[in-house]
Amino acid sequence: MAFVVPFGQYVPGDSAIHRLDARIKLLVIVAYVFTLFATSGWLGLLLCLLLLLVGYSMAHIPLRLAARGLKPVLIILLFTLIANTFSFNAASPAISPLGAGLGTGIVGSSIANSLPDSIILFGSFGIKPLGLLRGMYFVLRIVLLVSMTSLLTFTSSVVALTDAIASLLRPLRVFKVPVEDIATIFTIALRFIPLTAEEAEKIMVAQTARGAQFNVGGPIRRVKAWVPVIIPLFVNLFRRADDLACAMESRCYIGEGRTHLKVARLRTQEVFAGLALAVVLILIGVLL
Amino acid sequence: MLLFDHVSFTYPARQNPAVSDVSLSLEPGCRVALLGANGSGKSTLARLANALIIPDEGSVEVDGLPTNAHQTIRELRKLVGLVFQDPDNQIISSSVLDDVAFGPENLGLERAEIARRCREALALVGLLGHEARDPNTLSGGEKQRLVIAGILAMEPRYLVLDEPTSMLDVTGRGEVRAAIRALHERGHGILHITHDLEEALDADQIVVLKRGRVVFRGTPDELMQDVDALTDYGISLTPSLQLQALLSQSNLSVKAAAVVQDQFIAKAGATALQADADTYVQGETVAAQAGATAAQADSTATKTVLSLEGVSFTYARGGSTEHRALDDVSMRVNPGSYLLVLGHTGSGKSTLLRIASGLLAPESGKAILTATAGTAGAASTTGVAGTTGAAGTTGATSTCGAPAAIKPGVVGLVFQQPETQLFAHTVADDICFGPRNLGMLTNTRAQEVLVRESLDAVGLDYQEFAQRSPFTLSGGESRRVALATVLAMRPRFLLLDEPTAGLDANGRRFVHSLIEALTEQDVGVVVVSHDIDEFLPRAHDVLVLAHGRMQWSGKALDLIHEPDILHAAGLQVPQVIGWQQREGMPADSFTLDPFEAADRILRWRAARGER
Repeated sequence: MAFVVPFGQYVPGDSAIHRLDARIKLLVIVAYVFTLFATSGWLGLLLCLLLLLVGYSMAHIPLRLAARGLKPVLIILLFTLIANTFSFNAASPAISPLGAGLGTGIVGSSIANSLPDSIILFGSFGIKPLGLLRGMYFVLRIVLLVSMTSLLTFTSSVVALTDAIASLLRPLRVFKVPVEDIATIFTIALRFIPLTAEEAEKIMVAQTARGAQFNVGGPIRRVKAWVPVIIPLFVNLFRRADDLACAMESRCYIGEGRTHLKVARLRTQEVFAGLALAVVLILIGVLL
Repeated sequence: MLLFDHVSFTYPARQNPAVSDVSLSLEPGCRVALLGANGSGKSTLARLANALIIPDEGSVEVDGLPTNAHQTIRELRKLVGLVFQDPDNQIISSSVLDDVAFGPENLGLERAEIARRCREALALVGLLGHEARDPNTLSGGEKQRLVIAGILAMEPRYLVLDEPTSMLDVTGRGEVRAAIRALHERGHGILHITHDLEEALDADQIVVLKRGRVVFRGTPDELMQDVDALTDYGISLTPSLQLQALLSQSNLSVKAAAVVQDQFIAKAGATALQADADTYVQGETVAAQAGATAAQADSTATKTVLSLEGVSFTYARGGSTEHRALDDVSMRVNPGSYLLVLGHTGSGKSTLLRIASGLLAPESGKAILTATAGTAGAASTTGVAGTTGAAGTTGATSTCGAPAAIKPGVVGLVFQQPETQLFAHTVADDICFGPRNLGMLTNTRAQEVLVRESLDAVGLDYQEFAQRSPFTLSGGESRRVALATVLAMRPRFLLLDEPTAGLDANGRRFVHSLIEALTEQDVGVVVVSHDIDEFLPRAHDVLVLAHGRMQWSGKALDLIHEPDILHAAGLQVPQVIGWQQREGMPADSFTLDPFEAADRILRWRAARGER
């Protein structure tokens, strides 16, 4: 309750995006992130925005859920916008090519040129219109990045995601990477993180009932206040780990030679659609 | 055949052997119960059976495969499936189907075969249709059935179940017991480890273990013929079994009946403890330094009452996961009263505990401590509660002094398995944690007195325990220390969540006598539990909670005449009451005392026979 677990925001559904293999989704996201950072003008970014909106509407996920996902980065967004608005230096050669690119992308160089360098508020301090524009560009980029990855977690269960990552890692077996063990670690972590968070909350409540205070005093006292929570939490985790190890051993786990019930076969159309989308995205990134 | 041949085992760095010279055998299709108190070596046998540990002396063999042969260990583990107490520690995956598939996947089976085994195993435990669920959303009983399915998918010939029901609520226990019966009928050999006599009586054979040695071996009937010995083994008769034995009239000796009655009214062994508890309250030295003397002197003239008035609480308000945990709940705890809050997981009990201990502010309604003048009025309003609106203040109490907010220390909170919250280097340090936070300790002398008294109150010896690490204690001992850490704050009210969960007969008896001693010291006690058989005979007042709403509140003894309310709240009727119901007796003559019940049932039968 006191802890917000960063998983579990999966919104069950049966849309085409939900049904799409998580590996394909991961692939497309990687291409999307590449494009966000490779593109240098507004046009590329707006195409990315369009793609995001199409994605959300296909998945039947309301945009307000995406907005909620932005809350943790809100401060970063505000800072980006303000810093750029007040500190843009068009004369600086290190920044100007990007600035020019930003200006020309959609606003057009003539408009960019016609904008005043600075609207002086007092002294040398003032709003720089080009800086504002650039700030908005950066903000939009972060918004798109976060919203698109949220779409991935909204439409894929955590299990599907870990399976996808494990499956994408599988080729590394050639290099003697213990892929099966890594996949098992993922699986166990997923299962025990919510359990541990719940336990931590409970221990905190119990120690508070014994008069413990967590938000009083200087930094050292605050850190010390966590000792009565952290120690039992770890002791319990080790106890659990001991049991779990026994349970796994008695179910014959040795890490290798495992088969898999769910070997999700990739459908050809999915692969082609995913690859096509990725190629288009990369082209947008490189060309615009 | 699963065969233990003169097996002994001692854990590293321990002096006494965990099991010594144990021999037993288990055939497929046979069900053996291994019965014994905590620390009798039962769990060690479970681990020995699965080659998780290897015997020091003697041997363990499964269908001719010895557990100490490394080459055949995989074959052996395929033959013997192991289920432990806490299902949460045995579930590996985040979906039901994936978890059942884990074992067969480890065996490297074909996909079609894995799918078939998963289907079969889930069908056997009644979880078909739940494949996609996240185990975290399952009930305790469902979780343990999932664990059993995971083992069944390995298609073992033998199952070793190590107290599979001890962490579950009554419903979950019933589910798992039914699953065990189904497995037995299917022809698996079952070694069922338990400290619950009723469960053990389901088996074909019973082996009783005491301090690592076999002290009894025979059929359930043979065990019940020597009831005297049961107490000696550290096993208790439930009131229901007691009643059953009395009605059958044959196999219960008079002496045993007396012993059992003592247990039932929780008097046995409590006398010594009560003397300890007296010193606990008379601990003037510390009390003076803590400024508690004033409060104690006050209590003779005025009484502090803990009350919740029309309390409601909603989690994730306005969010997609909005959940109303409590809806207009009122309760009132007087000094020295004993309130039982009956409810299942999800009934809102844990929210109620957090609010009543002042750790969570109610969304609406009040949670307050009120100083009340006079004793007569207060006594008559115990358990007053309104089902609609704030009727919590009805009754003849004359309030004096402003209601105060609930603070840590005044209301002590003991969660389920409180021993999992111990953290300090020594038991003494852990006991001092609360009092130090509350500013009750001013010098080392006060500290020593407090530790001594707190340990006394839970029946532990100061010399032996004060300087020990809390992590080296046995289950029963650490539960006692955990209770001492809360009692050390000298709470006026004590809230306990399932305080007997996971304890054996001795541990349970201790908890009951502690509660009784505390109420005699004018501490108001609230126990939150689903276990009606365990607590209803002892509590004064009851509040029945279901889905966050109050279903009923009143005197504990009145509830037994209202079986419909229990049914409506999804609670089981106490077993002793169930007997009387089945006899067709009128509800107003029900009694919880098995001796009284036996008497009434016999008279009822006689009266009906005459007619």
